[in-house]
Amino acid sequence: MGLAKYVIRRLLYMIPLILGISIVVFLVMYAAGDPIQIATAGNPSITEAQRQFLREYYGLNDPIPVQYVRWLDHFLHFDFGKSLYGGKPVNEIISIYFWETLKLQLVSILLAFAISIPIGVYSAVKQRSWFDYIFSGISIAGVSFPVFFLGIIFILVFSYQLGWLPSAGAHGAPQLWPVFGIQNPFLDELAHLAMPATVLTLAGLAYNTRLLRAGMLEVLRQDYIMAARASGIPERKILLKYALKNAIMPLITLLGMSIGFAIAGAPATETVFSWPGLGRAYVTAASRLDFPLIMGITMIITIMILVANLITDISYAAIDPRISID
Amino acid sequence: MVSLALRKRGSRKGQERRSASQWAVAWRRFKKHKSGLLGLGMVVALILVAIFHSFIAPYPARPDPNAFLPLYEGEAGQPPSWKHPFGTTIIGNDVFSEVVHGTVYTLYVAIGTTLIAMLITVVVGISSGYLGGKIDDLLMRITEVFLVFPSLLLILVFARIYQLINPEPFWNVLGISIPVNLTMIVVIVAVFAWAGNARVIRGEVLALKEKEFIQAAKSLGANSRWIMLRHIFPNILPQVIVIATLTMASAVLVEAVVSFLGFGDPSTITWGRMMEESFQNMSTTWWAEVFPGLAVFFTVLAFNLMGDGISDALNPRLRE
Repeated sequence: MGLAKYVIRRLLYMIPLILGISIVVFLVMYAAGDPIQIATAGNPSITEAQRQFLREYYGLNDPIPVQYVRWLDHFLHFDFGKSLYGGKPVNEIISIYFWETLKLQLVSILLAFAISIPIGVYSAVKQRSWFDYIFSGISIAGVSFPVFFLGIIFILVFSYQLGWLPSAGAHGAPQLWPVFGIQNPFLDELAHLAMPATVLTLAGLAYNTRLLRAGMLEVLRQDYIMAARASGIPERKILLKYALKNAIMPLITLLGMSIGFAIAGAPATETVFSWPGLGRAYVTAASRLDFPLIMGITMIITIMILVANLITDISYAAIDPRISID
Repeated sequence: MVSLALRKRGSRKGQERRSASQWAVAWRRFKKHKSGLLGLGMVVALILVAIFHSFIAPYPARPDPNAFLPLYEGEAGQPPSWKHPFGTTIIGNDVFSEVVHGTVYTLYVAIGTTLIAMLITVVVGISSGYLGGKIDDLLMRITEVFLVFPSLLLILVFARIYQLINPEPFWNVLGISIPVNLTMIVVIVAVFAWAGNARVIRGEVLALKEKEFIQAAKSLGANSRWIMLRHIFPNILPQVIVIATLTMASAVLVEAVVSFLGFGDPSTITWGRMMEESFQNMSTTWWAEVFPGLAVFFTVLAFNLMGDGISDALNPRLRE
């Protein structure tokens, strides 16, 4: 089957999945309660008439199926409606936060991927060496360390104790410059990016090295590696060409998944660093039950994950000739 | 009829004897696994602390007014000392006491989530793998939906909805008060924690299904339920135990994140909740932030180490 046909079939297959997820999330949220009541509960001066007006304005008085169809109609026109807080269009809010999250996540995912390859391979080749023990120890500790707690430690050490790096935000305010002695806008951005990116890289690194080490150990035990060794192929070539190519498959799945999930951001890490990204926006939206914003971000993330899965599957076929697209 | 019943009992006996020796072998191998033993030791310590928490902690848990004794004694916001090993918070709680009391909730989250998640995992994995056909198709479609869900974000939304429904804070079951909101979080986390593992189990079952002993049982007239319970389940049990240990680790992590972000049970002081409370003041009282965090870390590490050890001990391919 051709690639185009496969992609089209997979895209068509996504439609019921996306619809199903949107219906489930929509129903659960709207069955849970009246968002206007929740939004105005803390404000005693709001009258019932004003609440009624707000409900009318956001179209919350219609039956739920009508609301869903209207939401779906807007969704198909790439419009997620308006936030219940401040009435800003959801699209605008998402587009503000999207790039900050993407910047942070892409840097850390790619760094974690690149650094984990030499460590994972070397640990597997020198199994039970001091290098392996140290890095295996670090990576199991890294997997167990709550990522947001690592961020907290970083802030305590590098911001509060040493005063080297800013603890919050993605940019310093130019009118307050120099912040931490930085006046260059690019360096300022880099200084803000340094800690959250390092924390997320370390977290990803721990998972990747464990996965790659286990994969390499499994592959190196295979007969065809022994056959390659017996036929006198240099060890370096065996490792990098024959073993790594097979051992890296699970890592590529993980890479695909993490790029999909990257858009969800790391809500806790973004909150710790006050990073103006989608993850933190989602936490705020969830705590206020800002339904249109929650629906918008959830749908964006779902679609990104599905697309990333598709790309992963296609790249599988490109790397491994045993897997054919069908 | 009689002979069939006898045969059944006979086969069960054989099963038990064989599996006992299999577990004995696994335990012998586990005992040689140093980091696995370390993990087991840490888990046992955690359980002991949870059982004897009211004896170990010098101050009672909130909402007992005596929990605020350091405040009345003018010792709020104190750094770690002999009297307060982990220091006191800015509002005058002994951090050590609260960490000790928190072990109970942590174990509740770990065990509760894992029980529910593993039940779904095993039922979906076995019936999907063994029965196949339409049931397999349906279950795998549902599994895919759960794999695609951005689970942590939806856990936050659901946790918040339950917070707002605001149920009574505790259920009294046989004299033990069970925090309702925390139980809801346990259920929510479990509902999103089975999909990937169910696929793994399904794969195992697919491989097992073709083995001779299953074919033999089938030809002797055993029905599907019997085969799934008596032949498939005992053979995937090692895999299930490994997955369960790792699920406990991730359940503790997820609950810590949920509580830290302010979506936790307002009536229980879990470690994540302590970190949330102290986050704003951590530049002055860093100890109130760091010690609960370390408690989460060591607990997750213990389950992960133990899981690794069990996994190595039960993996037949690593056998010398």
